[in-house]
Amino acid sequence: MENHAPSSRSLPENSLAKLLGLLVAAPLLLPLQAGRGAEGVGAKIYSESCAECHGKNGEGVHGKYDDPLAGARSVQALTRLISKTMPEGKEGSCVGPDAEAVAAYIHSTFYSAEARARLHPVRESLSRLTVAQYQNSIADLVGRFRPGFDRPPGTERGVRGIYSGFAILTPEEEEAAKEALKKKEKKDRKQEKLDRVDPQVSFHFGAESPVPEKMIASEFTVRWNGSLIAPETGTYEFVVKSENGIRLWVNDVEERPLIDSWVTPSVEVREEKKSIYLLGGRTYRFAVAFFKFKDKSASIEVWWKPPHGILQPLPREALMPQEVRQSMVVNTALPADDRSDGYERGTTVSKEWDQATTAGALEVIEHLELHLDNLAGTKAGAPDRLEKLKEFSLKFVETAFRRPLTPEQKEALIERAFQKSPTPALAVKRLALFALKSPRFLYPALSSTEIPDDFTVAARLAEVLWDSLPDPALWKAAQEGKLRTGEQIEKAAQRMLADPRTKAKLAGFFQQWLDLERAEHAAKDATLFPEFTEAVRADLRQSLQLFLDEVVWSEASDYRQLLQADHLWLSRSLGKLYGREVAEDGFQKIVPAEGQRAGLLTHPYLLSALAYSKTTSPIHRGVFLSRSIVGIQLKNPAVAVAFEDAKFDPSLTMREKVTSLTQNKSCTGCHGVINPLGFTLENFDALGRWRTQDNHKPVDSGVSFEGEDGKTVRLTAAADVARLAVSSEKAHEAFVQQLFLHSVKQPPAAFAPETAAALTKQFEAGNFSIRKLLVQIALTKALQGLPPEPVKVAALPR
Amino acid sequence: MSPLNRRQFLHNLGVSTAALPFLNGLPSLQAASEPAGLSAKRQRLVIMFSPNGTLPSEFWPEEEGDQFQFKSILAPLEPFKNKTLLLKGVFNKITGDGDHHMRGMSCLLTASRLLPGNIMGGGGAPSGWAGSISIDQEIKNHLQSRPETKTRFGSMEFGVAVPNRADPWTRMSYLGPNQPVAPVDDPYRMFSKMYGQMKDKDTLASILDDVKDDLARVSSKLSSRDKQLLEEHLTLVRNLETELKRPADTALAHPMPPLDPGVELTNDNTPQMSRMQINLLVNALANDMTRVATLQYMRSVGQAQMRWLGVEEGHHSLSHEPDDNKESYGKLLKINTWFAGEFAYLAKRLSETPEPGQSGSMLDHTLLVWTNELGKGNSHTLDNIPMVIVGGAPGFQMGRSLKLDKVAHNRLWLSVAHAMGHTQLQTFGQADLCAEGPLALG
Repeated sequence: MENHAPSSRSLPENSLAKLLGLLVAAPLLLPLQAGRGAEGVGAKIYSESCAECHGKNGEGVHGKYDDPLAGARSVQALTRLISKTMPEGKEGSCVGPDAEAVAAYIHSTFYSAEARARLHPVRESLSRLTVAQYQNSIADLVGRFRPGFDRPPGTERGVRGIYSGFAILTPEEEEAAKEALKKKEKKDRKQEKLDRVDPQVSFHFGAESPVPEKMIASEFTVRWNGSLIAPETGTYEFVVKSENGIRLWVNDVEERPLIDSWVTPSVEVREEKKSIYLLGGRTYRFAVAFFKFKDKSASIEVWWKPPHGILQPLPREALMPQEVRQSMVVNTALPADDRSDGYERGTTVSKEWDQATTAGALEVIEHLELHLDNLAGTKAGAPDRLEKLKEFSLKFVETAFRRPLTPEQKEALIERAFQKSPTPALAVKRLALFALKSPRFLYPALSSTEIPDDFTVAARLAEVLWDSLPDPALWKAAQEGKLRTGEQIEKAAQRMLADPRTKAKLAGFFQQWLDLERAEHAAKDATLFPEFTEAVRADLRQSLQLFLDEVVWSEASDYRQLLQADHLWLSRSLGKLYGREVAEDGFQKIVPAEGQRAGLLTHPYLLSALAYSKTTSPIHRGVFLSRSIVGIQLKNPAVAVAFEDAKFDPSLTMREKVTSLTQNKSCTGCHGVINPLGFTLENFDALGRWRTQDNHKPVDSGVSFEGEDGKTVRLTAAADVARLAVSSEKAHEAFVQQLFLHSVKQPPAAFAPETAAALTKQFEAGNFSIRKLLVQIALTKALQGLPPEPVKVAALPR
Repeated sequence: MSPLNRRQFLHNLGVSTAALPFLNGLPSLQAASEPAGLSAKRQRLVIMFSPNGTLPSEFWPEEEGDQFQFKSILAPLEPFKNKTLLLKGVFNKITGDGDHHMRGMSCLLTASRLLPGNIMGGGGAPSGWAGSISIDQEIKNHLQSRPETKTRFGSMEFGVAVPNRADPWTRMSYLGPNQPVAPVDDPYRMFSKMYGQMKDKDTLASILDDVKDDLARVSSKLSSRDKQLLEEHLTLVRNLETELKRPADTALAHPMPPLDPGVELTNDNTPQMSRMQINLLVNALANDMTRVATLQYMRSVGQAQMRWLGVEEGHHSLSHEPDDNKESYGKLLKINTWFAGEFAYLAKRLSETPEPGQSGSMLDHTLLVWTNELGKGNSHTLDNIPMVIVGGAPGFQMGRSLKLDKVAHNRLWLSVAHAMGHTQLQTFGQADLCAEGPLALG
């Protein structure tokens, strides 16, 4: 077996760590080779005693044992299983070295993931852009022509407020004004201005002016300017409450306001609502204009309802005083991507998809038509307009195709379009439409040359880390031939990691890994849990986001912290529910009680999602812990059994009910794993609150758990499960696998059978840094098929 | 229907109140009140607006009846004299909040009071938007509610040089209280609204061959499994191509009008904009995209500088000058005559277009109404607001100059609604101003 890294190139920073990882891995893999090969003892035993029911290559035999022999158990665990249970009817006849030999043979020939990958090689499948990739690519494609549109949000928060009104005059000034009036001299009234950064747009001026001692109260105007930080993709609702004249703009401040309530019909406070679709991880221009004219009072409040959130005053954290340029957000709804494999991928096309990409492309060309001269840096009648429009078209097509056009392509495409179109503007539109409908845009892999080059690397990095196209910096690096060596590529990836687009992509990963969609809709029984309001759920979601941000974007970015942290981010209302008073506004980092909480495993947002509306659900929690945290693959249940609380003796605890429900022999295979893991969380009720009693009996969270390595351990609390995961290679690999699938949208085995294992080694050697892992994943994709690096490769063990 | 309206309704039918009890439950009454055969014909309405009042002595003919002479402002309408109806004595009697310009504009087509609000004008109390639907939208709703008169847009709001701001001086069309409709003053945007889809189709059709070629080219390097995905993609592109080649459901009676490319929306280009918009309007009517339209020039208090007429000053400032200022008077004469010329161009274009399936031209089946927010600029009066009607409609006897007795403009809009087939409408806007029913113009 070859032990090589995802690619045969060297990675300077981690090369030592990787090397170590490989050296550690090698001895572990050695014993497997003993049982391999048709001539070994294991092979002989298998063909004599096992193949009849399991098939010659473990593929299963219809009517005897249907399922193929495949799984994640270790050789040791397989040995134990065989010793105890095989062959059926003659149990105990294959034990000791025989069982070990046959287990090793099975494991290495067809059972393990590596063996399966070798037998059925997985290849990268051609994929079109996913919905998120399409939306982000369009935004960045049009954004190429608005430098600064993607400026990162920086650290300053709030919004700039510019207050203007007439100054309150001193008696002398008033006298002078009267004199001027008498003499019919025209004299402008003295103005008062105030320019400051406001935390929010929320003011109740009453009958006063914003600057009571200096500005008159009867009439004044305010303009708030800045940008809005959209954390997630989706529909944002904006609400303005005011009795005065207001306008509100989001993203596009040149065209019509999102809300226009300049002329107000009455003196009462009105609420105006409008929604807008925005892409997460980006900032958008934001402005509000306000005026008071002789109204009795003045006030304004701007609220928003972000996707997955609740209606609330637009918070300071979502605003920044700097102004960014407009983003192109495609409003056409694209059909949802295939998620049948647990991650979104673009491996199918449909009529709906084709129509949506057409409509999306038409939306873009309409936007171009409206802003063409501005985007192309020219104006109507300019002598060089034609040249500028050609330059624009070329840059547009090249950006969409993620590589420069050859001189022949330029001639055939750009020049021809301009010759054939009645007007230059129409030529631009046709070229843009062609680019957006071209397979080279829609299937990123198709724009690559046969031998991958710098531009291929740039495109792959942008795809994996951002779900988008290369930005100008990546483009420049590719153009200068600076994406050749592992070192250069890693440097580029590091730079990209700090971009908000990476954050948005990782947010998508957590959404999927933790199934946050389910959590969002986890309502509880209103009579039992009246305190579990929509506002509490929104706070819990934010609490989880704060935790993920804190861990992932800290310097260490430590995966172990995700599982083992003992604190929660609590707001005032969450504090009341989860055991610790929170005195201040906003969220505070709080340890509810020593040793109770274990990171994601016990975050109340997840615990409440993994529970029924009235009770806990150890099965849901156990499945989550098995698959997502500990990394144990589970088969789908043989028979679907619904949990019906009413059917049980009402005096039983949840643990007792679940044990009785799953005692059937066909259930124990998986529930032997699921139940014990789930029971360790029984100290948390359906809302994820700590409890010591269930149904008036003390909670019993202690279990014996047999891992896939065959060892039995005693677990009594969530922290024990976390420790188990943190020290388990399988758990690490499961995490690596998930992050890989989400980022690359291809299985790791498509790159090399050992990719996942090698990345796991690096992950472990790199102190479990999630960010470093992401960089390594990006490099795996970026380096695929690249000609080996002549110098560095020599340093790698072959 | 209130008792007053019901009486009014019966009165209009020529039935006395004495007969009232017997009429209850007569099912055919409503149907019988509709002009026979109207549904088969197209009847259209275009309301044109120009701002800042007129010069009454250069506008209203001295004579009454069918023997009258146009004064200088209306001279451009000479070719359509026998199709013109001049109505002097129409008053905008709406009082309440807002200055005269605001009420002149935002009550012009709504004929009811403005809502209270925060917009301060040159006098009176501050006000808000109009408090009810405008007549064009009222008629649109009626036409759109019936399959035989329903059109793609129902109504279209054209503008020429309307400033990009929304307030009671810039809006005359309302969907209802507080719901102003913004006119589209960019001919390119209007064209795109009318023909955008077709234009898109053309552009799309022009690139599909290249997309197919490209798919074939990239496909050649792929594995058979990946090729299959692109095969499916290619089929989708081919299907799209077939769909695009299929003729549109309803063929256009009149071809898409050519549009001069690249005319900027500037004050000095207003004459070109005006003609582009009129051509689009005529095309929209000819293709039956709508039967109701408004055409708004500038806005109330508009300060257009009509340099193409040799006028440097802003229109509104000029309109404030006293009548004895010969120079400004002469300029206002030029300005108002120019508007009349645009109105005449609209009439001309319609008169040159035959009415489909009927005798005569489209003008014979269209009511063109040219109005203004003020009777006279320097007095800000809402009395004798200009009402020039050209074209034809049932119940409108054209070729006359009438001097009406201070009638509320509500009643004129009732007559127009009835001519458009909306005969159930018994009051419009402020109900107490409609007591005498529609104006008899037949």
